[in-house]
Amino acid sequence: MIGRPTTEQVLLDCCRVLADDVLPAVADETTRVRLAMLDKVLRNAAVRAAHEIAWMREEVAAIRSYAQAAAAATGDDDLRAALDAPAGEGESLHLSDVVDGYCRAGDLLSASLEAALDADRADLVARGESLLRERLAHESAVVGGWNSAGR
Amino acid sequence: MDLGGGAEPGPGLTREALERFLTAAEPGRHPSVTALRPITGGYSRLSAIADVRWDDGATERLVLRGDPAPGEGVFVSDRDAEWELVRALARSGGPAVPTPRWYDATGEHFGTKCIVVDHVAGRTLQDVLRSAEDTPAAARSFVDTVAGIHATPLDGLPAAMRPPPSWDDHVDGVLDSYRRIDREIADSSPVLRYVAARLGRHRPPPVPFTLVHGDCQPSNVLVRETGEHVVIDWEFARIGDPREDLGYYTQIPMPPNVYSDDPQAFLARYRERTGLTEEQVNPATVEYFLVIGMARLLVQILQALDAVSRGESRGVLATYLVNAVTHQYRLYLDACRRLGGAYPEGAP
Repeated sequence: MIGRPTTEQVLLDCCRVLADDVLPAVADETTRVRLAMLDKVLRNAAVRAAHEIAWMREEVAAIRSYAQAAAAATGDDDLRAALDAPAGEGESLHLSDVVDGYCRAGDLLSASLEAALDADRADLVARGESLLRERLAHESAVVGGWNSAGR
Repeated sequence: MDLGGGAEPGPGLTREALERFLTAAEPGRHPSVTALRPITGGYSRLSAIADVRWDDGATERLVLRGDPAPGEGVFVSDRDAEWELVRALARSGGPAVPTPRWYDATGEHFGTKCIVVDHVAGRTLQDVLRSAEDTPAAARSFVDTVAGIHATPLDGLPAAMRPPPSWDDHVDGVLDSYRRIDREIADSSPVLRYVAARLGRHRPPPVPFTLVHGDCQPSNVLVRETGEHVVIDWEFARIGDPREDLGYYTQIPMPPNVYSDDPQAFLARYRERTGLTEEQVNPATVEYFLVIGMARLLVQILQALDAVSRGESRGVLATYLVNAVTHQYRLYLDACRRLGGAYPEGAP
């Protein structure tokens, strides 16, 4: 397969074409707003293409470690059962497999935080919240800000 | 939230359709639609401005507001309910609204249910704020309008608008909607599960239910040349906690945001106008109700994204609004971080 330009570079080049070649030729205001939205979506996709598999794998590992600590500290049976269930991530780096594992880890993080809150374990709540912030830091790197195009 | 739909505002919002509709609505007056153009800038409904000339020489300008085609768009709301509410508000002497004129309740004429109201000549309050030399004065006028919405007598509202059984039921119901959407969609939303858990444990003091606008922002307030404020876009209105509108406004990203500019002045004015106490209305309670007030729209965005993940298309708006979701999640986590100090565990 062709490795370069990367997917990120291809998408960013599409953004350039939209901004430099297409947008100036469009007079309809609604279509211009849609193009602005499309530009943003493509830029989001470029960042995701460049990093999302690595970021999700890193987060999954950190979440499983946290969930094990939460299960041990709280004795929460549901959490223990969720941890004992086959994770199923495997070694596949195909995006759909990585996303499946990431979603399961997200549910595990939710259950761990709820167990920590039920057990009134401020230390575990703080650790879980830091994982949420790490997740959001990645999301923020993807979106780069929110400004309501066209408004 | 209005969503301009393209060079034509929507498949059915055309000059011809409006002319046929008005002919049926006003037999014998022979309307001629001399212009019709879409309104851009909103994210939900299709809307357009139309100029009409009647055969007696009278002219008028109207605003049309319809639904996107089924399966398109992101936000869902009920035109019947909006029409009934706008009519009730126009009768009530409460917040000024555009005069409701006609309603295509079946979509027979426009291919979509379509509300027709008088056009209001003026600028949006957001435009006024942007260019105001005395921003605090304009900000106070916005607060007064919001307080006016919340002062609307509930007994004059449509019978279908009923208050929740209790304040706790209301908050629990909203928090459950976050847990439910996390279960229903293919993606995982740990921020929502966490926020629901935290807010369920830390409740601010209740206040009486009021009419809630649901999309409370200066862009939805038109300022006539006389200075009168006219409130538009009632599609997400409901009866709820008035602080939902305050919280909702805090997340509006367009500058200036007159709450963010001076929260204490904003809230002092609001308390003065409503008689609510500082314990009830303060930055912490407003932050709490950002999460409550955004629930309905955030859930709809997540449902649209889930539809995209199943291979359906909801237009570029759906994928674009991923950006808004991240923005909300960040604000929600910030709200959680400050909750512990604001509401000790177990407080009412």
